[in-house]
Amino acid sequence: MAQLKYKMIPEGMLNGKLVPLNIVLIDLKDVKACGLEPKQAFDLVASTIDGPAGLNIIDLDACSTTSDGVVVKGAIMRMAASDRGRINKDFGYLEMKPLGYYGDEEIAQEPHLKVWKEVYPGTELYMGPDFTKKIIPVHNVVITGRASNNNSATEMMNIVTMEEILLPVLGQISILKGENVLMGRTGEVISVGIGMVVPEWYARIIPKRQYRCGDTAHGSGEYAKTLKKDIPIICGTKATLAKNTITALECGLVPGRTIGGSPAVLTIAKYLHKEIAYDNITERAYEELASVGLTKEWMETELPLLTPEEIIARADELIPGCEDYKEYKADEIAQTRYVEC
Amino acid sequence: MKLLHTKLPEFIKKMQVAAAEQGNVPKEIEIKGLENLRSAKMQSLRTGRIEHAVGEVAALENVEKLELIMIPRVPETMQTVIVKGIDKDGKCAKAVLEIVNVLHPTEEAYLLDCEPENIDDRRPAIGNH
Repeated sequence: MAQLKYKMIPEGMLNGKLVPLNIVLIDLKDVKACGLEPKQAFDLVASTIDGPAGLNIIDLDACSTTSDGVVVKGAIMRMAASDRGRINKDFGYLEMKPLGYYGDEEIAQEPHLKVWKEVYPGTELYMGPDFTKKIIPVHNVVITGRASNNNSATEMMNIVTMEEILLPVLGQISILKGENVLMGRTGEVISVGIGMVVPEWYARIIPKRQYRCGDTAHGSGEYAKTLKKDIPIICGTKATLAKNTITALECGLVPGRTIGGSPAVLTIAKYLHKEIAYDNITERAYEELASVGLTKEWMETELPLLTPEEIIARADELIPGCEDYKEYKADEIAQTRYVEC
Repeated sequence: MKLLHTKLPEFIKKMQVAAAEQGNVPKEIEIKGLENLRSAKMQSLRTGRIEHAVGEVAALENVEKLELIMIPRVPETMQTVIVKGIDKDGKCAKAVLEIVNVLHPTEEAYLLDCEPENIDDRRPAIGNH
């Protein structure tokens, strides 16, 4: 009998931080190898987990974007939440909308996708679900019992204990690819950075192009740095983040105009001496950036010119974000498991 | 016009009566999830069915007491938040309207101790009466 392979980060303590529910990551290739539909794969894996779980299926050949608009290879294409082995039939499962049909018209509206078109031609593209078809009104979330899998599968919660963990897409991709990841706490820089979004019609977090590039979705001044600052996080290494961000900047994207002006993107752009659209960054975005040290004076300071290779090699030292973290090998953080199918 | 909507206190009373009258002995019912409601009109059609369900459960010999838990049918609720500043005369001097979306656990979180074969899901599809 065939077996479906999947990765699982069990509920419990890791690096002194709480993983508040079981986290399951499944490679779409393994689902297909078993001849299963994604929903069947979720049901099978969920049936083996007694506690609350968030479950994602990832297509490593497709593309997606980070919240600040960096295109990455690898995309979450299905998401689920389960509890006591079951998935809620109304709210426990969502499909991301395939956007591979996007052409010049869409890319003119979402110019950060130029990277997808030019660097990864012919690949499928997923961000969030089709908001016109989902039942839950605002968030791109699935919920079953205690388990919640939110923001198109990049933030999971136990709604009863109210504990949460952030799972930025690069970390999930890294785990499935067997690459190293960081486990730590978000900190103030990430709390602010999450707000520096790009306009996307089918975005993972905030769809309908609600905020233009250079603005902040938080819009809460000094409070922005506190909103998500004390949350456990499993993310890609800073070198991985740097590689993907450099690809976007080398493709001609400009922070604050065509890619989000997050602290990480701004820092890398400044070390590469790339253009930054200072005039396009709103005052309220400046206020939030300044609250974590990226003041207007910092923006005007010239940082030493570094090569992409130097930035990647020194990423931990140069790129702000994530606190009290430790680097893990993928198989140290996620168990490889199998279920009969 | 009894078929339209039921007053909140009447809804609560109906459930207490059904729990007390339908079993071989009067049974208590603990009602949760209505604590924040001050004034509300409850859909009568479903009130009757819930009353019936309470009576049915109360009639079971192995049931000693009942719980009625009301949670949002759709587990994300969109709330309007009203921030009011009150002056020395008790009059509102300034108000800000905001929103916050709230995520709630679904029914499974309240049924962890119940075997699936003992759950009778009588809810209509979302959007239906």
